Amino acid sequence: MKKVDKTVMQETIFVFAFILIFSVLMEAVYLILGKWDLSILWGNLLGAFAAGGNFFLLGLTVQSALGKDEKEAKNRMKLSQMLRLLLLFVVALIGYLVPAIEIVAVVIPFIFPRIAVALRYFFIKKKEGKS
Amino acid sequence: MELALGIILGCCALGAGLAMIAGIGPGIGEGNAVASACEAIARQPESKGSVTTTMLMGCAIAETTGLYALVIAILLIFVAPNILVDILVSTIGAL
Repeated sequence: MKKVDKTVMQETIFVFAFILIFSVLMEAVYLILGKWDLSILWGNLLGAFAAGGNFFLLGLTVQSALGKDEKEAKNRMKLSQMLRLLLLFVVALIGYLVPAIEIVAVVIPFIFPRIAVALRYFFIKKKEGKS
Repeated sequence: MELALGIILGCCALGAGLAMIAGIGPGIGEGNAVASACEAIARQPESKGSVTTTMLMGCAIAETTGLYALVIAILLIFVAPNILVDILVSTIGAL
């Protein structure tokens, strides 16, 4: 098996950390609204792992595609994107079919990595500004 | 009642399908971006680390559109029909 690139690992850990923070925030919002129960927690866990896993798989694809020629890299990314969307859909389907899981709590964490990446951009800007 | 239910479910499915059109774009965009990154690394192999980081973040951002579309589609397929049917039933019950 190919070794995972250091950059990919670093970014994945960063995204996972942010997903954890946002998940706690989401649980807090549900608690405040008085709609919290265990199904929300299970849904959140499933969704968070799926979102983080999706980002990690994206990283692995980018890592492997960068070593290929242009056309193959292009096709690889397209295929990977389609398969990852399908994977997320299957995760949502599990959330729908299993009664102990709330589907909305599964779906919301899918957006967390995007927020993490946006915040990452601000962190980099801050670091650059300081240096 | 059956007609209204059929229209609700049909429109939800149609909406989900239309939303997933947005899932096509990110794949093409990511493919183009990675192809350009390959070219950049071939020209300057020493910049591989920084290119990979930028690439990864860029791809994650590009993919967001597809994810939003997926989330909307999932909500339209699994969540919206129940809510809309409940509204329909309560409206008919009130009449």
